[in-house]
Amino acid sequence: MNKSDNNIDNVVSEVAVSEQVTEQMEQAVDQISQPEQTAELKSAVMRERNMQTVTTKQKVGKIFVQIGLYLFLTIMALIVLFPFYWMIISSFKTLDEYYVNPPTFFPTQAFDIKNYAEAFTTGSLDILFFNTVYVGIVSTVLSLVITVLSAFAFARLEFKGKNVLFACLLATMMIPGELFTITNFQTVINWKWTETFTVLIIPFLVSVFYIYLLRQNFLQIPDELYYAAKVDGTSDLKYLWKIMIPLALPTLISITILKMMGAWNSYIWPRLVAHGDAHRLITYGLRNAFTPADGQMYDYPVQMAAVVMVSLPLFLVFVFLRKYIMKGVSRSGIKG
Amino acid sequence: MVDSKKQWKAWLYLSPALILLLIFTVWPMINTFIMAFSEGYNGMSAVAGEKFKFGFGNFAQVVRAGGPFLKCLKNTMLLCFITVPISTMLALLIAVCLNAIKPLQKLLQTIFFLPYVTNTIAIGMVFAVMFNVVGIHTPHESIGIINSVIVAFGGERVDWINITSSYWANMFVLIVYIVWNALPFKILILLGGLQSVNKQYYEAAKVDGTSRIRTFWRITVPMLSPMLAYVVITGFIGGFKEYSSVVGIFGEQMGPVGSKGRLNTMIGLIYDALETGDYGRASAAALILFVIIFIVTMINMYVSKKKVHY
Amino acid sequence: MKKLLSVILAVMLVVTAIVALCACDFGEDKLQITFYHTMGADLQKVLNKYIEKFEEIYPGIKINHTQVGGYNDVRDQTSKEIQVGQGPNIAYCYSDHVALYNKALAVATLDDYIASTEMVEAEKFGNAEAMPIGLTQEQIDDFIPGYYNEGKTFGDGKMYTMPFSKSTEVLYYNKTFFEQHKEKIAVPTHWWCTEACPADCKSGLEKVLREIKEIDDGCIPLGYDSEGNWFITMCEQLGTPYTSATGENFLFDDSRNYEFVKRFAGWYADGLITTQTINNDYTSSLFKQTDKSKSHSYMSIGSSAGATRQAPDKVDGDYPFEVGIEPIPQIDPNNPKVIAQGPSVCILNKANKDEVLASWLFIKYLATTPMFQIEFSGTGYVPVIQSVKEVESYASKLNSANGYANVAYLAQKVCLDQANAYYTSPAFEGSSEARDQVGDLMVNCFKEAMTKKDSGGLTTAFMQKAFADAVNECKYYIGQ
Repeated sequence: MNKSDNNIDNVVSEVAVSEQVTEQMEQAVDQISQPEQTAELKSAVMRERNMQTVTTKQKVGKIFVQIGLYLFLTIMALIVLFPFYWMIISSFKTLDEYYVNPPTFFPTQAFDIKNYAEAFTTGSLDILFFNTVYVGIVSTVLSLVITVLSAFAFARLEFKGKNVLFACLLATMMIPGELFTITNFQTVINWKWTETFTVLIIPFLVSVFYIYLLRQNFLQIPDELYYAAKVDGTSDLKYLWKIMIPLALPTLISITILKMMGAWNSYIWPRLVAHGDAHRLITYGLRNAFTPADGQMYDYPVQMAAVVMVSLPLFLVFVFLRKYIMKGVSRSGIKG
Repeated sequence: MVDSKKQWKAWLYLSPALILLLIFTVWPMINTFIMAFSEGYNGMSAVAGEKFKFGFGNFAQVVRAGGPFLKCLKNTMLLCFITVPISTMLALLIAVCLNAIKPLQKLLQTIFFLPYVTNTIAIGMVFAVMFNVVGIHTPHESIGIINSVIVAFGGERVDWINITSSYWANMFVLIVYIVWNALPFKILILLGGLQSVNKQYYEAAKVDGTSRIRTFWRITVPMLSPMLAYVVITGFIGGFKEYSSVVGIFGEQMGPVGSKGRLNTMIGLIYDALETGDYGRASAAALILFVIIFIVTMINMYVSKKKVHY
Repeated sequence: MKKLLSVILAVMLVVTAIVALCACDFGEDKLQITFYHTMGADLQKVLNKYIEKFEEIYPGIKINHTQVGGYNDVRDQTSKEIQVGQGPNIAYCYSDHVALYNKALAVATLDDYIASTEMVEAEKFGNAEAMPIGLTQEQIDDFIPGYYNEGKTFGDGKMYTMPFSKSTEVLYYNKTFFEQHKEKIAVPTHWWCTEACPADCKSGLEKVLREIKEIDDGCIPLGYDSEGNWFITMCEQLGTPYTSATGENFLFDDSRNYEFVKRFAGWYADGLITTQTINNDYTSSLFKQTDKSKSHSYMSIGSSAGATRQAPDKVDGDYPFEVGIEPIPQIDPNNPKVIAQGPSVCILNKANKDEVLASWLFIKYLATTPMFQIEFSGTGYVPVIQSVKEVESYASKLNSANGYANVAYLAQKVCLDQANAYYTSPAFEGSSEARDQVGDLMVNCFKEAMTKKDSGGLTTAFMQKAFADAVNECKYYIGQ
């Protein structure tokens, strides 16, 4: 490789160091900016200083508290998990056993795998899976490209009206998306986009929030790197590709996951614009396929089997990419 | 160094995002206003060449007495004002407990996050099944797991979501579901907040032997107040947009069988109008919802400004 | 690592770009006709067969059909497309769908085609010889009148739809049980006895219900599937107001309608009847039930298209009872009224008049081809023309139909025999909302009667409010 590449690698490690520094700085700044509160807290602590002394009694108390904590958390965890358990267990029951009163907590009659096969075929889950994954991947890729370009422009490039434009974009985040649905619906009808994948992908490609998120991340990368690269004659795009993107990778992964989850969970828009068989997405398909229409009856175990199959991919993704999802979500505050 | 070449480049990079935003965000905002103030605007009639005059007729139609507006508003408000406090408090409690333990913390944290990665509609179906009383008069008689537990403890079984169910039984199921669904995000944010609270404060408190409850109110809550404000505000905004959870449990008729629309929400009101092509009415409903959300958010912001320690 | 990532990203980008280009349409010379429907796989097989035959007659026409989903999906899809001047040529429809499309003046009137004495010239659509466009009087008379007239219920006297897969409500009863107890009960022909009935009348439904309850206290004698249909049918039979396609739409808030609702609510409170909504399942589940320790019934009023659902499963290789099918009870058995239900088809206006003509020819072909009607009805629908009875193979099937193995044919036989009894309610934009609302109304009144059973029962005040609310909801729905 040539010299400039080496140079860039050095620069990358520098950034890693400087990131740590920035973090420490930020913390320090945080503390400085809270002088009043710190004082207040200190006085509160002072006031109570002489009220109690450490005793062994407290240590025993502490153990009890710990037991209490675990007990509470375990109970809450069980409550949180119960619907999942019930979903899985119901999916293996025969219809007869499902109706047994009181319900069995474990399938006793048979471990009915048939339900899965049936759910798969009646719900045409293969098509639904394919459609959803396809829409998810394409829209994620396109969305990433658009987001990266915009965030780069906002973070690194100078142009007239930049700040005003950015503020305007942020303002649009305040308006509920439902307001847009009707007109977008008309727009896509006018363009004859209904019942295509395009209609599921294009209208929601741009998320101001993602741009904002990535811009903040880009801003943390010191300017010096950019100018160093410029001096080396590295083009903007190459700089973006070689330095910015690798450094912002965690944020990009978070965005990817949120976007994929969005495709998985989207319901209202697909229902409106693409409810034909060919382009149906999973959530709408699920609700539709297992709500009894003319001449059908509820088959709950099959329904539950379908739900398990639909939920499973998300779980797997979650298990493997937990860190990124939680990071992404904690910054987003929106579902999907 | 703002040179014209750079300018050009910046706009080039921004163009895909800006074009899409113009089409799918800015234009809809403008058009919503136009349609909302075109009296009786209907997509089908518009094709036939009908002209619509300017006026407040659509708004009057949405909120008119005897219409579903009050019902939807009431449902939405109730859901909001009940689920947000419950889920916030529960999440705070869980987050504080999680923060106070060492072993198993990661595992429990993961478990509490699980509901987030589920499909609202799919899990809604599971909740419906858990609460369902099926076939009171049929050979298939099942009272659902929740009722079985109630009966096992000597209680009386309740019809939660079927034909004989009461409004509050329906509400109860919805509230449980929404809280369950809202917990993970809130726990995550609050736990994140807790972990970033400077340990020194706690250590000082510990040395001083301050009681836990006191520490909680004097240190934890004030330090967490920005995060609390954040989850409450997003909670309210989300709450006013409640729709999918009702569909998940009751289906698109938005109510138990025989009482179509009993649990309809503000968003549901918008979608109902779309069915007959009444975009004018739908836009008016959307604007009304926007104003409500705006006011509630402003109040929230105002309150949190007074209370939050930044 | 970075290399790999960039390669993956690049590949994804390329794939995206390629797929985004979408499959192009390779048009044909033929006149393309699109048909939106809700048919499942079995019906599509029959349809395909006759499309093939149709295209043999008119090689210049190509019929493309799509299952769009359920009926509401067809409506939503079609109305969306109409708004941009698109839309299929032919769509499955209920009358309220047509009213909705017609707001955009999108539905073609069929009167001119039906009355046309002109011919489609040879070779126009590749056809070998000239073909008549219109229907002959004989062909018109061949239709079951109620089904045919449904196309004209839009208040302007014009014909907008042609009947397609129709059905009606019939009374299923446990024939074995009725024969066992023939001293006490007969198959009900009227809802309740009046002075006109002889003193020992055994066929008034109310009496029959009470007798059955006496014989078997553990049963619910009758299950009625559609509350909405029940209300509308009663209005029709009694001659009381329900809805109108012109002027004031929703007329059902009428004290005369309170009376029958109250009467039926009383039956429900006494445990004599149940409905699909209350039962949370088709009432056939009760009718089929052979385990008498569980809830069961001896009669069920449901769609003729659901006949196979009413047949009990074999027990030890034998049918547990024989199913009998008769027309539903009436107010005036001499002037019977039964509802015509199931979708029709409508043709949408197009700039290219040939498309409309070709669509009409296709619809006409299906509607007037007895073998299509027979094969299509194999799944439980009623043929819409009466000449099917002249097709020998079908006639013999109808005649040998019994209440064991071929309940579906038995149901079709009953339906064809009451050809003059079909009525249709007025068609306008809110007509299906009105049906839903009166259905919910019945259920709510039933529930009220049950809960207040020991404290005065269903009051007029309650009904007044329930009826007024229902009318209000209907009006809101259509933006009045």
